[in-house]
Amino acid sequence: MQQDLSELGGFSGFGGLILNAAICAAITLSALAFAWTLHTQDPDPKSKNTPSLKALIAFWVVVAIAFLITFVRVTAAFFGYPDLDVLCYYLAAVPLGFLPVPLVFFIVYVATGDKRSAWTMSLLFTVFGTMYLLFLLPSEIVGPDVTYWATTITSESDFALTIYLSALFIVPTAMIIALLGSILARKPSKRSQYRVALTLVAISLVFDFILVDAVAIDCVMQVAARIFVLISVVLAFLAYHPPERLQERLRIQEITGCEVDD
Amino acid sequence: MSRIDVLWEQEVAAYFQSLGINQGPGDIQYRLIVLVLASNEGGVTQFSDIRTYTDRIADRGSVASKLKTVFLLDGLAERVQRGGYVVTDKGLAAARFIQESGKFYKRSTKIAAIIERMP
Repeated sequence: MQQDLSELGGFSGFGGLILNAAICAAITLSALAFAWTLHTQDPDPKSKNTPSLKALIAFWVVVAIAFLITFVRVTAAFFGYPDLDVLCYYLAAVPLGFLPVPLVFFIVYVATGDKRSAWTMSLLFTVFGTMYLLFLLPSEIVGPDVTYWATTITSESDFALTIYLSALFIVPTAMIIALLGSILARKPSKRSQYRVALTLVAISLVFDFILVDAVAIDCVMQVAARIFVLISVVLAFLAYHPPERLQERLRIQEITGCEVDD
Repeated sequence: MSRIDVLWEQEVAAYFQSLGINQGPGDIQYRLIVLVLASNEGGVTQFSDIRTYTDRIADRGSVASKLKTVFLLDGLAERVQRGGYVVTDKGLAAARFIQESGKFYKRSTKIAAIIERMP
């Protein structure tokens, strides 16, 4: 691979990797910023949404950690450090393996209001995540294959891939869609519909494009998936902080007024 | 006669009262009387059957007055003997509406709770 780099005239031949790394950095920063705005939004610890809020913050922090490691990985590939690239691949697998845990807690708690069920489901997905890592870490890998746009590493463990696809991603995505459908079918207020729908759609998109990113064979597909992850983080931010114009257009603005004397 | 959960019906009536609906679905006496009459469809409902459920929440006089001024006057029930009433088709329609209002309450509170838990 070092030879390939020298053939391309050093790292200047991998300009796409810089874009890839920049997208990863942007996802990290925006996910962290969003988690911070969520952290500062609700100071009431007795509020019923406190457990789901904490789970949502945890979800975005885990996304940020995963993409921070991925940023280091892509940067390492750019500067020609394949060992660091492989190390970061394994390190990033840890937050990605446990990403569904806070998400499942969030969905189950919002849907049922039962913390015990939410913890039980989270524990189940922690077991799935651990199983995924146990199959992934000792398995043989192919790569890193560094191209103009991306660095790809493929695990040869079919079990790890099966757990990753079926348990860790498809089940939580189905849960999100079910929750979204059940909420929208009962027609809450427009403002609630907007916030709930946009939050859940954004989470679902982030989740699905992380999956596409992980299983992408084509390097351009990896970059495209990361761009969509970034867009989804922005969507999630817009769910909580809709611009004035959008609020007026969708008629979801909060109208408050002072008391008037008749 | 199928069991009628008085506490549940009280909860539903209180919900409708909180929406400013004090008659019909928001009136616990109306709810209980119409449900008791409907559960006795095809038979005669004795005033004592109704009082089995209403005694906990209202006095005998106000229930009798409600039967006379609402149910008999509007044709939801017919008096067939002393202290004996038969539900009419209109009464059954009213009972179905009251049952639906219970489902509406369940759906509304469920969605309100979900929205409340959303951060």
